[in-house]
Amino acid sequence: MPVSSVRELERELTELRAASAEPGAPPRLRASVMTHIAWVPEEWVEAATGTLAGLAERHPSRTILLFPRPDDPRDVLEGEVDFRCFVREGQRREVCSEVVSLRLCGRRASAPASVVMPLLVSDLPVFLRWRGQLPFGAPELDQLVGVADRLVVDSREWPDVQGGLARLPELFDTIAVSDISWARTEPWRCGLADLWPDVADASVLRVAGPEPEALLLGSWLGARLGRDVRLEHEPAGEIELVEVDGRAVRPIRQEALTPSDLLSDQLEVFGRDRIYEEAVRSSS
Amino acid sequence: MTQAAVAENPLAEGLRMRRPPEPFALSIFGASGDLTQRKLMPAIYSLALRGLLPDQFGIVGVSRTPMTTEEFRERMREAVVEHSRDEFREDVWDALAERMCYVAADFGVEGGEQPLIDCLDDLDENQGTAGNRVYYLAVPPKAFGPIVIALGQARTTGGWTRLIVEKPFGADMASARALNDLVHEHFEEKEIYRIDHYLGKETVQNMLVLRFANGIFEPIWNRQFIDHVQITVAESLGVEGRGDFYDETGAMRDVVQNHMLQLLALTAMEPPIDFEADAVRNEKVKVLRALHTPGPKHVVRGQYGPGFIEGEPVPGYREEAGVAPDSETETYIAAKLYVDNWRWADTPFYIRTGKRLPRRETTIAIQFKRAPHPPFEVDGEEGLRPNVLLIHIQPDEGVSLAVGAKVPGQGVSIRTVHMDFLYGGAFRVSLPEAYERLILDCLLGDATLFTRADEVEEQWALVDAMVAPWARDRPHFPNYAAGTWGPHAADELLHRDGRSWRRH
Repeated sequence: MPVSSVRELERELTELRAASAEPGAPPRLRASVMTHIAWVPEEWVEAATGTLAGLAERHPSRTILLFPRPDDPRDVLEGEVDFRCFVREGQRREVCSEVVSLRLCGRRASAPASVVMPLLVSDLPVFLRWRGQLPFGAPELDQLVGVADRLVVDSREWPDVQGGLARLPELFDTIAVSDISWARTEPWRCGLADLWPDVADASVLRVAGPEPEALLLGSWLGARLGRDVRLEHEPAGEIELVEVDGRAVRPIRQEALTPSDLLSDQLEVFGRDRIYEEAVRSSS
Repeated sequence: MTQAAVAENPLAEGLRMRRPPEPFALSIFGASGDLTQRKLMPAIYSLALRGLLPDQFGIVGVSRTPMTTEEFRERMREAVVEHSRDEFREDVWDALAERMCYVAADFGVEGGEQPLIDCLDDLDENQGTAGNRVYYLAVPPKAFGPIVIALGQARTTGGWTRLIVEKPFGADMASARALNDLVHEHFEEKEIYRIDHYLGKETVQNMLVLRFANGIFEPIWNRQFIDHVQITVAESLGVEGRGDFYDETGAMRDVVQNHMLQLLALTAMEPPIDFEADAVRNEKVKVLRALHTPGPKHVVRGQYGPGFIEGEPVPGYREEAGVAPDSETETYIAAKLYVDNWRWADTPFYIRTGKRLPRRETTIAIQFKRAPHPPFEVDGEEGLRPNVLLIHIQPDEGVSLAVGAKVPGQGVSIRTVHMDFLYGGAFRVSLPEAYERLILDCLLGDATLFTRADEVEEQWALVDAMVAPWARDRPHFPNYAAGTWGPHAADELLHRDGRSWRRH
């Protein structure tokens, strides 16, 4: 049932929880390990909902999907609440987590924190997944960064990667930042680490892959080695090749990860990633 | 990654990915046996499926049964299809089967080990296994000796060697010590991985996290706040075609000596200084050494007679195949144990295990002392039970805390309710099988979840003392019906102390 205020949302959540218990059956459990906020501009709706489909079971949480509609002439809040329940094989009780979808219309789109704060699950970490380019200085970003513990981005989603990386350090002292593109480089970073100490004097890194991964790998290697490393970049859809001074790097083998897996992995990280911050700072 | 490694290699800092083990050749002795088919091969398949094995490895099945490599692969394939927790993927299996071979060898005869040694040398040469050897002894204890001697004499000069030994490790203190002595003649203690698969279970490991990562429990984890502890390892199954083995073993040696004493040690141990293998095992050994030998009145043994499980009639133990019709082997044990140290003095640990109990369940129940002075009227107090922290190890892995809550309405009426943390609810990843975790740990050289020689000997010392009085008394078996919670004397054991087993 659509709702139009936070109070209605809370009431709907309570009613859904009560209604979910079937007579005679053991009560369902509500499990939350975090509050997961996703800021999803219009062009990212499909990707975001697809990612969410595989996420709830691995990280049961209260998920708050925020769909900003700043151009909507109405200043209203429109939302739905959904209860997603599942039974793990071999277990008897259903476990449920909550998904709150909110369209922030008109001016409501510029004050998202006031909508989100009453809905946060107490005492649990808050992860903010920001889809698309980060609008540095915009009130919606500042507000949500203020209520979250960790910001998860994917610099592959940024039309201006270099510009985004250049400004990202502005946030480092405010919030811990994860970048899914950075996570994609880890098998290759492991491979480069395996070449130590032969790579101690590396001077050229060649990467065939997406721009953010190439930039981050290059800046990371230079920063770690404390020397200038020249990056030769060939665009590609995924990282296909990494060579250091002409020597091929073998990545650590891992299963192919879905977008849900990649986000899930980031939701398991809590503290600041100083190595990533160092790489980002060095990239500009 | 250790601090030292990072200091040497600045590129290693901050990497989170777990690295695959070094190349290895794994020889499974007892390759035609039940354990290999039900647990080991499905575990290896699951590791392969998740990309947790290195690029270079080989697996050698070893047993006396004549069989070709092709037949062995086919048998293992069927085992994986039937027993793996994961979907069967032909591509994963083909890659795994390619690295598998079978050697029929009898280590009881002179030179019987040579076919295996030749095979391993071949793996080093063609699969790049670099002389790294893992020997998994999934064979009865009486077969250990010749294998250990032959393997010890045929050690490679390059690479490392690890020996995984299945339980039971000995049949009593003397045989366990003799076995330790024999193994130590050929292998260093750090090369020996004695498996107790309970330690590979996520929930057992979570016990350490629950205790030592949560500030609220440890201050009350002692005799001042805890009334007693109950550890239950219940099985609804009977001997399931293993009558010959079980009739020589019994519940005391099959479960109490290893699983139950490990669970008790994890419950009672002091915080280790870190999670390194020896730090954890040092603390467990201290608990085992502090266990007070219970007198005969504090140990109850039982044997099941005919009864019903889930509505189906089932035979008594003495009617099972492979079991002597006048067998005096116990299928049930209950005991009251004390840990004689500052933390636990006078706090009983009640343990019980049995076959053909009403349901399969492994739990550790920490029962706290009652509230000293509940200020409620009489009818309100009736529902007020002591708090119980219940750690579910299987099935439904998780933790629940029983607390008293007011029933809504007039007056004060109290009801016990459970606050549940269901492992599969909060972390809905499929829990790895214990054998997956343990095999991988061994391949990585991490012995934390394996039992050390002194632990095994302490366990046997206690068990020997508990069974010693049995030589004088003939039991009146059977003394409980299949499908019940054990003999009446087990209830009496607690009733005498004004307590009772947990209600199910």
